[in-house]
This record gives sequence, structure tokens and C-alpha cells, in this order.
Amino acid sequence: MPGSPYKKALTLALLTLSLSVFWQAASAQVYGSDFHTVTVTVATITDIQVSSGSVNLTITGAGVPAGQDQMTAVDQTTNLLWGVNSANRKVTVNTNLVAPQFTLKVLALNPTQGTAAPEVTLSTTANDFLLNMGRSTGTCTLKFTGIAMASEGTGTDSHTITFTVSTQ
Amino acid sequence: MYDGEPFKPRVALHHLKRYILIGVLLVAAAGVLPTVEAQEISTLGGNPTLNITTGTAGSEPIPVVNTSVTLSYNKQKAVSKITVQTSCIGQRFTLKVLATGVSGGVAAPEVTLINGMPATDFIRDIATTGPKNRSATLQYTASATFSQGNSADLGNDVHTVTYTILAQ
Repeated sequence: MPGSPYKKALTLALLTLSLSVFWQAASAQVYGSDFHTVTVTVATITDIQVSSGSVNLTITGAGVPAGQDQMTAVDQTTNLLWGVNSANRKVTVNTNLVAPQFTLKVLALNPTQGTAAPEVTLSTTANDFLLNMGRSTGTCTLKFTGIAMASEGTGTDSHTITFTVSTQ
Repeated sequence: MYDGEPFKPRVALHHLKRYILIGVLLVAAAGVLPTVEAQEISTLGGNPTLNITTGTAGSEPIPVVNTSVTLSYNKQKAVSKITVQTSCIGQRFTLKVLATGVSGGVAAPEVTLINGMPATDFIRDIATTGPKNRSATLQYTASATFSQGNSADLGNDVHTVTYTILAQ
């Protein structure tokens, strides 16, 4: 019965069965699987630290021409380091010394991230020190400048300087 | 002349449908059978959460390691291997997994789990001899950079990690 509908039907059925067996054989290579969920959370992390505990600036007046009132001393031996994973953050700076006898200024030199604010004359009010940090990790050099006038006499100012990460 | 003739194709079609139906049922049965077999691989220990909570100023957040989940699997009739893959829509952070304490087979190098990744070798050369039940510890390591942000702003990474044992 060449070409009979029965033969065609039988052929199709056998083809279907063959595909089924082939599919079984192919899938038999996989013996099993299992899954579970793993969750990763990252907390809001804000780290900031200075590389050294203390800085001393001694104003001696050495090298200052006679007749000049202002004398200065500069220190660039310390760094500020930070790590922040929140957006829109900045660093401010302030001192605890309410009435300093002399002037102390600080500037962020060569920040690896963000933009240094203009040099800050330290006061008990927090002033912008580093801006546009984004989510970043980085460092900058702390440039401290002590300024004394001859007319201010002698003495010692002891500052506790605080750097703070805050919302910009 | 036409008595009965028009009905032959109908009969053939009727049988064809029957054979196709049988074929489909066989294929369906083949698809169901593996699911009712004994479980050849399973994760024991639940769904871990890795919390990154601390960092280092000037560096990066500190990675977190979790080893609370065990992978249990059986030897097979042929030398086999285990692969791993993950699905994590909107993945932001890094998650790696390594098989430690492997009692059957050889651990592959640590795998970085990336959303949509192809199945990647995790344990290879699981022999056909020796004890039937084997196991390994799943050592997950989560890490993030400060620039990748935090979960409060961006959400958690939830991975569906799938382990599959198959002929090698």
C-alpha cells in the first residue's frame, strides 16, 4: 500500500517515537539539579581617617625680613583618607578651639576624587573642605598653614580638628 | 463510484492523530520521569545572606565569606561533573563561589557568579567508584567597591544559584 494514509500515519508515529527516544537519551546526560538563593547586601559605609594623630607647626620667624609682621609655617606630612558608598557627599572641617591666638588654615591638596574647596581658615563652624566626592575611595594631602603676626606675641594653640562626611 | 471513498482520508487522519497523541504522551512521560527520580544533587543549609558592613578608608569595603551551605551529590554510572550558574537581575555587587572540602571529584577554580552566565564547571571528575554520597562546602565570597554603592540606595543582589550534575 505505497502512499496509503495508514502507512504515512505509521511513519509519522515512528518518527515521533524516535524523536522521543532521542530526546530522552539526550536529557539523560543530566542527572539532576538543585538551586538556592544567595543574597548580598551592602550597608551604607562611611569611613574617614587621618594618616597621623598629630601635627606640630612651629612659627619661628626665621627668614622673615625685618619689618614684616606676618610669619608662617607649613606642614604637608599628613593625609586624609576616605571611603564612601553613598551619593552626594562632601567633607567638612572644623576645630574645637573657640578663640585661637593664631590663625590656622587647611587645604586639601591633590585629592584623588572630588574637588578641593578653597583653603579654610579653621573655626568651630564646619566649613566645606572637599566637594563632589561621589561614591568613592580616595586620599588627599592635608596642607596646614599656621600664621602669626609679630604683634600677637608668643604662645601655643592646641586644635582638635574634625573632618566630617556629610550630605552635599 | 464515490461511496466510501471520501471517508478514507478521514480514517487516516483519525489514526494519525492517535499516533501523534501517543507520541506526545511518551515525550511528556519522558519529561516527567526525571523529576520523580531520587534527588541526585541538593543544597543543604538554606539560603545564605552575606552582609558587607565595614570598609577601609582609602581602600575598599571588606569582603564577606559564608560557608554555611553544603552541596550533597551522588556518584553516577558515568564520570560526571557539577556546573554552576546564577540568575540575578540588576546585579551590582560581586559574588564568587568555590567548592571546598570536596569528597568526590576535583574542585574547579573559584567561579565568579554573573547574571545570565552560562553553566560553568564547579566540580569535575566525579568518579563512578567509591561511596555513593559525596559532598562539598560552598564557600561564597561577596565583595563590593565603594563606587558600586550600597543596598539602601540600590537594593540587594538576590542570586538564584543553580547546581547541575551531568555526565562529563
